[in-house]
Amino acid sequence: MTTDSWPQFGVTTNFEGTEAVVALHGSVEHQGAFTLGATLDAAIDRHPASIVLDVSELDSIGPTGMMAIANAERRLAQMDTTLTIRSPSDLVNRLLGMMEMAEMSRLLDRVAAENEHVEKHEAKALPLMGAPSGQDGPSEDFRRVTAMPSDPDVIDGALRLIVELARALVEGADGVSVSLLRHGRLSTVAASDQTIMDMDTDQYKTGEGPCVDASIQGQRFHAPALAGETRWPAFTPQALGLGINAILSSPLKALDQPVGALNIYSRTPLAFTTKDQAAAAVFAKKASVILSDAGAGVSDTQMAFRYQEALLSRRTITLATGILMEREGVDEEAAFSDLLRLSLYHGEPLRQQAQTMIQSARELELGPEFGLDA
Amino acid sequence: MREPPVDILDTYRQEAGLSHGELWLRYFEFGGMSTAFELEAYLYGVLAPSTYDHDLIAHALNERFVELGGNHPVAYSEAIRAK
Repeated sequence: MTTDSWPQFGVTTNFEGTEAVVALHGSVEHQGAFTLGATLDAAIDRHPASIVLDVSELDSIGPTGMMAIANAERRLAQMDTTLTIRSPSDLVNRLLGMMEMAEMSRLLDRVAAENEHVEKHEAKALPLMGAPSGQDGPSEDFRRVTAMPSDPDVIDGALRLIVELARALVEGADGVSVSLLRHGRLSTVAASDQTIMDMDTDQYKTGEGPCVDASIQGQRFHAPALAGETRWPAFTPQALGLGINAILSSPLKALDQPVGALNIYSRTPLAFTTKDQAAAAVFAKKASVILSDAGAGVSDTQMAFRYQEALLSRRTITLATGILMEREGVDEEAAFSDLLRLSLYHGEPLRQQAQTMIQSARELELGPEFGLDA
Repeated sequence: MREPPVDILDTYRQEAGLSHGELWLRYFEFGGMSTAFELEAYLYGVLAPSTYDHDLIAHALNERFVELGGNHPVAYSEAIRAK
């Protein structure tokens, strides 16, 4: 790939009071990514109270560009400074592009839409409802090097982005939220406004509603017109009281397990067309990918078990490789290649092939002749 | 012949329905020495993996595809294919 095909990349930094605004133009990839990294580093070195990344003029951004932003975000997180991503024009298209990136790098912290103050308010208000109290578990530094799960704050940020997108793209949507099961309880980690937050809370309190059912049963629940709804007698009057007339809850899954729901609310009965329902399913799927990548819904015990299992497999495969090294007089990589070829030849998983090899080596060793021709 | 996209390995990962964390664990099980972050860089084509690393990743993905009832879509290096 040549860099000629990429549009010109440019970056400008403006300090507005204590806020640094870094505006990007063109396409961030290759050299552009290094320029961006250096620019962000320089801005961070001046210790602004916050950094705004303006991507409204950005045409595209690739993985190296995202890594430059991810690195800056990490530095800023350590300094307790936020990185806000602003995209005032052509919002939807840009965000759609950004969403792919959020999925890739689990990075996007928050998107500042046209009304930045509201956004700031929401961003600050939301974690109070959704975040687990107290930071138990690995320390900040340790968490950076573990494979999973990812930083819950970053995940919440990505989910807030999905909420913004769903609200903008699903025509019947007056409000959107994401509920997640955490520590066995449902909570709202992202919501487009306070009414929606209240709607979710009402469902958790009454223990019923499309959001609760979708989160637990892992299926879509659609209430096209609440006035005629009979499934949730305790919750429905409260929703109608808040002016909500239609609800569409799509399940979120992490590693095939239901972990929450994407909830879309409308003031208009029969607001959600077939097209809206399909769009909701797409957003729910996107959110599910983010959650799966984050290892959401995986308990500490399951995680510990999985790590233990992985360590055991690794030991088995390393031992088999060692046996082959000794037997064939080759280096580790060549021995591994041999093992891999054997596994492919026999159509057996690598771990099983390694086990077979260890077993036969043991039998040889324990045999009466202790010889290769035994 | 057209070159495959740089992030072809990550495309396979998504098709295989593996999270980055789970793929890294599988790679680690096979004896992989790279960090999870390096693995992501290999997947996106930002860093070029060694032949050994490439084969580890390819096999981790292929074993997953077999689990899902599929074949071995991810190509191994010449070192594996030659013999």
